[in-house]
Amino acid sequence: MGILVFVLFAVFFLWRIDSPRVERLRAQVVDAVVPNMEWALVPVTKAVNLAEGFQSYTRLAEQNRELRRELQRMKAWKEAAVQLEEENARLLDLNNVRLDARLSYVTGRVLTDSGSPFRQSVLLNVGARDGLVDGWAAMDGLGLVGRISGVGDQTARVILLSDSSSRIPVAVQPSGQKALLSGDNSPRPPLEFLDERDAVRPGDRVVSSGDGGVFPAGLLVGAVVAGADGRLRVQLSADYSRLEFLRVLRSHPGETVHEAGGLIVMNPVLAPVAEGVPAEASAPDRASAGEGTDEAAPAGEGTDEVPPNETEAGG
Amino acid sequence: MISPATLHRWAYALLFAAIAALVVFLRILPTGGSAGGWPPPDFIVLAGFAWVVQRPDFVPVLLFAALLVVTELLFLRPPGVASGLAVIGLEAIRARAGLLRERGFLSEWITVGVILALMLLAERILLAVFFVDQPGFALVALGYFVNILAYPAVAALSVWGLRVRRLAPGEHASEVRLV
Repeated sequence: MGILVFVLFAVFFLWRIDSPRVERLRAQVVDAVVPNMEWALVPVTKAVNLAEGFQSYTRLAEQNRELRRELQRMKAWKEAAVQLEEENARLLDLNNVRLDARLSYVTGRVLTDSGSPFRQSVLLNVGARDGLVDGWAAMDGLGLVGRISGVGDQTARVILLSDSSSRIPVAVQPSGQKALLSGDNSPRPPLEFLDERDAVRPGDRVVSSGDGGVFPAGLLVGAVVAGADGRLRVQLSADYSRLEFLRVLRSHPGETVHEAGGLIVMNPVLAPVAEGVPAEASAPDRASAGEGTDEAAPAGEGTDEVPPNETEAGG
Repeated sequence: MISPATLHRWAYALLFAAIAALVVFLRILPTGGSAGGWPPPDFIVLAGFAWVVQRPDFVPVLLFAALLVVTELLFLRPPGVASGLAVIGLEAIRARAGLLRERGFLSEWITVGVILALMLLAERILLAVFFVDQPGFALVALGYFVNILAYPAVAALSVWGLRVRRLAPGEHASEVRLV
């Protein structure tokens, strides 16, 4: 028994010293155990959901009426949204804005809950096999749900925003206040490190801010509510009671600007100034300036004249 | 040739493992909405304690530890600490099992409560020493009280439902015959 206790504590020390290795072992254990139980999990889950469904049948007519009314309202909204989207696309096109092209996603089904009362997480049936990487964001149809933490071959764990170890940099929308959404095991996690509390009102939209490179910016998280204890909390948009399918956003490590010098033109020949165009005209429009560089570079190399940069290189 | 008594013992060890598997299975069902509710009791530890008071030979310590480690790995808890302490608690109860059986259920309940509290305290101290993030004290205290309240039910179920009960003097032979 002494040896057994010693071994168990040794496992703990090992976990404390070399956490990634033991966490990988944990992911492998989960990977081995859970998919084997899937055949049993799925029917039981279905049965439980069916039972819940039967409970709601009792007020089916009322629900139906309500849904119809809501659908009417939504149709109006949809029309507005389509028009706005068209307008937005036109304006973006006019401005030559480049959107973030890195948000493609993998969709997975939720296999299991965390099982522990103190951790809020779910297990997805997609894993390293599908190219998942630790740290990616997971959303349901509406809002942010959590982040990938622990990837097995066929499974991946999503730490929910309500978990007590979850800290997400967010921005509160109309005022642009930055804050930290820190989970505390309650369904409505509080906002922390808010600069100006007065600038934030209940009902404000909360989106991910993208600070720290954890998440892509601009993912909807929820809306601000005033908690019973006077703290500002976030009502999450994602439907946590009904997590069935989650989409995991592939986020590729963004390009970062490391030093100031990288932005300043080092080589006069490659300067983003097209011939015959005054420098002042091209300076404000960065998009067209970028194209200018691309065109100037091959032109400089292709000409037979000796460009100044070659003479510099030789000297 | 395996003696019937050994077979009986192994059957109950298997039953214990099956109960643990069932508990894990029910816990990880994706039914959602677990945030903010009451934490469920720690059935595996409670069942282990309740069994070991009645029949110290029914819960092999190795099996108990293995089951706890697997649950810790599955449930995202720091591996090894809680299970190591639970093993110590189990052995402490095993050493007092004879005494506890004689003194009746109330003293058993109190002893289990004290041992669970000591386990919890030791776990928190150990985790704090190693700077591991811990859930809030209120949550853990709530979990402890749920455990204490659930213990009589678990004990009753294992004694009357699963027939894990102490042998009266001279009962050994009849049990052997039964198998």
